[in-house]
Amino acid sequence: MSVVGRKNRTGLRFALALACTLLFLFPIYWIAAISVKTPEEIFAYPLVWLPGSFNFNNYLVLFRDGDAWSVFHSLVTAGTSTVIAMVLGTFAAYSLARYKTGGNHLSLWIISQRMVPQISIAFPVFLLFVSLKLIDTYAGLIILYTAFNLPYVIWMMRGYIQDVPIELEQSAMIDGLSPFQVILKVVFPMVRAGLFATAVFTFIFAWNDFLFALILTRSEVVTYPVQVTGYFGSQSTFWGKIGAMSMLGMLPMFFVVATMQKYIVRGMSMGAVKG
Amino acid sequence: MTRIFQFRYLILAPAIFFILLIGLYPFLKLLITSFQNITMFADDYGFAGFVHYARLMDDGRFWASVLRTVVFTAIALPIELGLGLAMAYLFLERVPLKQVFVALILLPTVISPIVAGSTWRLMFDNRFGPINQIIGWFAGHEVKLLWTVDTSLAWPAILIADVWQWTPFMFLFLLTALSAVDQEQIEAASLDGASRWRTFRYIVLPAITPVMAIAMLIRGLDLFRIFDIVWTMTQGGPGTLTETISVYAYQMAFREFDVSYSAAFALAIIVVLTGVVLSFLRMVEVER
Amino acid sequence: MSDLVLKNVHKHYGQFHAVKGIDLTVKAGDFAVLVGPSGCGKSTLLRSIAGLEEISDGDILLGDKSLKDLPPRDRNLAMVFQSYALYPYLTVFENIAFGLRARKVPNAEVEAKVRDAAELLGLTEYLDRKPRALSGGQRQRVAIGRAIVRDAELFLFDEPLSNLDAKLRDEMREELKKLHQRLGKTFIYVTHDQIEAMTLADQIVLLKDGSIEQQGAPLDLFERPNNLFVAGFLGSPSMNLIEVSPLGRDNLVQLADGQTLVVDPAIHARLVETKDPILWGVRPEHFAHVENATNAVMVQIGVLQPTGSRSYASFRIADTHVVAELPAHTVSKEGQQIALSPNMEKTHFFNAGTGERIG
Repeated sequence: MSVVGRKNRTGLRFALALACTLLFLFPIYWIAAISVKTPEEIFAYPLVWLPGSFNFNNYLVLFRDGDAWSVFHSLVTAGTSTVIAMVLGTFAAYSLARYKTGGNHLSLWIISQRMVPQISIAFPVFLLFVSLKLIDTYAGLIILYTAFNLPYVIWMMRGYIQDVPIELEQSAMIDGLSPFQVILKVVFPMVRAGLFATAVFTFIFAWNDFLFALILTRSEVVTYPVQVTGYFGSQSTFWGKIGAMSMLGMLPMFFVVATMQKYIVRGMSMGAVKG
Repeated sequence: MTRIFQFRYLILAPAIFFILLIGLYPFLKLLITSFQNITMFADDYGFAGFVHYARLMDDGRFWASVLRTVVFTAIALPIELGLGLAMAYLFLERVPLKQVFVALILLPTVISPIVAGSTWRLMFDNRFGPINQIIGWFAGHEVKLLWTVDTSLAWPAILIADVWQWTPFMFLFLLTALSAVDQEQIEAASLDGASRWRTFRYIVLPAITPVMAIAMLIRGLDLFRIFDIVWTMTQGGPGTLTETISVYAYQMAFREFDVSYSAAFALAIIVVLTGVVLSFLRMVEVER
Repeated sequence: MSDLVLKNVHKHYGQFHAVKGIDLTVKAGDFAVLVGPSGCGKSTLLRSIAGLEEISDGDILLGDKSLKDLPPRDRNLAMVFQSYALYPYLTVFENIAFGLRARKVPNAEVEAKVRDAAELLGLTEYLDRKPRALSGGQRQRVAIGRAIVRDAELFLFDEPLSNLDAKLRDEMREELKKLHQRLGKTFIYVTHDQIEAMTLADQIVLLKDGSIEQQGAPLDLFERPNNLFVAGFLGSPSMNLIEVSPLGRDNLVQLADGQTLVVDPAIHARLVETKDPILWGVRPEHFAHVENATNAVMVQIGVLQPTGSRSYASFRIADTHVVAELPAHTVSKEGQQIALSPNMEKTHFFNAGTGERIG
């Protein structure tokens, strides 16, 4: 193929890729636009495609009314549960990887926990948390998200740990480290990339959860997905608030994708390889 | 030796404790409750036999929800797979700014399904949504489709939203898989005179099948359990038209508090899901 | 420093009996080499001494202290792994310092010790680099450095030179020997390479299928092998094994092609008593071309391989392929008929059935 032909193909590919990307981004653009439109612009006909100005009133309303706290609640619950799940899960994964604790049966059972449909255990969990007085508390959601994410963390980290050459751990043991120190000072640094990738997904899952947040919160620790659905009423739908709240909820995700893109890609493909 | 014995269980124990909380207790509770007779009005803890399971078998609404969910899964999965594959091929070779594009395309997948559903609900709004506007341009006149209310449009709306959110997921998996295909085999095939289709069918496809299978399993399970998107867009409506298994289950448990029945229901879902996964895995093993 | 004693050490992996009742004493300060073919149990034995494997039976004693129930870090030993096991995320300095830091040695002391070791091994200018920036030989030295900073009583080496190319291996062999002389500590070294074993060891332990075939000074094993396996393992090219049968008279043994050789009367007596077939073991270097020799065999040279000052000449005695190592120019061309006399004092006779040496 001639050089010109090849350039054309790349140019065509670029155009298609651009079109593809724009197509997928459009709804996100739309909701972002709504979040900065004035009510007149939102409910204008024909449609206003480009907001006239950056009107942050919708956001101000959220902060004023305290609705914005839901983002904070999401941050606390998702962040804390991710940290706990990563620590407990990685240690557990080490036990499975190096000591082969419980053999195949235990591993299988742990991985199968990931397949449990949320809706099935929703009500029993609800009852359990009621009796433990964990409804509408940080602790409740954190415990739940930790428990829910642990199987995934264990599954992924086990694979990453198995890829660490065992001689490094053995050498450290001979050099005088206790088994616990070996995990901390040798294994953790070696699986750093895996830790990040897994943590990203764990965080995303907890951040975006709706069903459990819906069931287990009332008014104190409402997370942002629940908050958003609250704006859809039978009488009126608060478009501006929906837009602003959605954006607030999406912003951390944008940030995560921007900084962790490498790890996300690796994490998704690792999931394929290690599945 | 006793020291090792303790250590490896010690570091495993906290995680297991948490998992049991979600894994063991609810399961047992469901089992027990499904054989009792607890409803919104009565709290009968006696053994009620299989009455709820029998009711489940006869429950038309249940079976309808199963049918809808299965059909939806069967439609959405191939679409997401096909589009994802097409996009993966597009990005397989040199594209300027590839990393940027890939990162942006991933955005729908990392946002909450609630936000996705909410966004599309607004996009599908009959008066102020851009979808109708765009259709109107092509139709030449004003279009006021009631996407989330019209019986023939509700499912397509949900389908579009789900495809939008999850095709990037398939895309990424497939891109990774395609990138890993042995280039030398493809070059050998082209030298042998194989057509693009042939190369795909006999070289590429077998190479990416394991990854595709995993992606399909994950996505299939998620589609089966779909809740968030449906809830924001239609809440199972109009009527019960878009009521999937999860939506119905939610109604049973948290709206009507038909506790024992929903426990039987929940267990049934787990059993069905396990069956699906096992048969899928067996199918994959047979392929090998 | 104390002697290392292994008493009746056994190791089972399920049904597989990897180490079968090993009794071994390594004197303090000795360089002991565990050598043998793959699967003989040498690595398992080393790792058992290290504490990375638990022994199924028996005991391991350092002096009068039993190591059996101690975890690796309490056994006061250091180990160099085949793959070096360097931490890729640490600098060379930190890699070497790793064990010291683990034992909470104060910074000043760590500095001093690491720099000493680095200087000894020629690593001083590499201290700030990461392992990936080093060559194989340099990484090897870092691994050794990490071991020697620790003042351990026992140094274990698990095939440390296997991953190096031939020339580097020769250099490192010499350095390891010098290191041992300098440190004076007990070295236990595992290899499958008999040249490393011969050149490095004060004591060779030759293992096969989990048992010790023979142990002793290298030249002892070389010159007085206990059985066919030992005879064949050491020496390159390996010992020739030729079928012979003793004749009833004149202290003669007969080769398969009819030629005869005179042997020592005492040995001849033992040969006559042996019911099993007999193999005569003669190393290539023990053949010589001597004019008018009385005890010689007449052979026709098949292939001649000159290596410079020596040549390898191969020929056949009946069906057996034999190699002789002769000074260059002894044989002028292939196909030449020549009389070779073996140095009978250095050759051995083996019972082909049991493998044991007869004389």
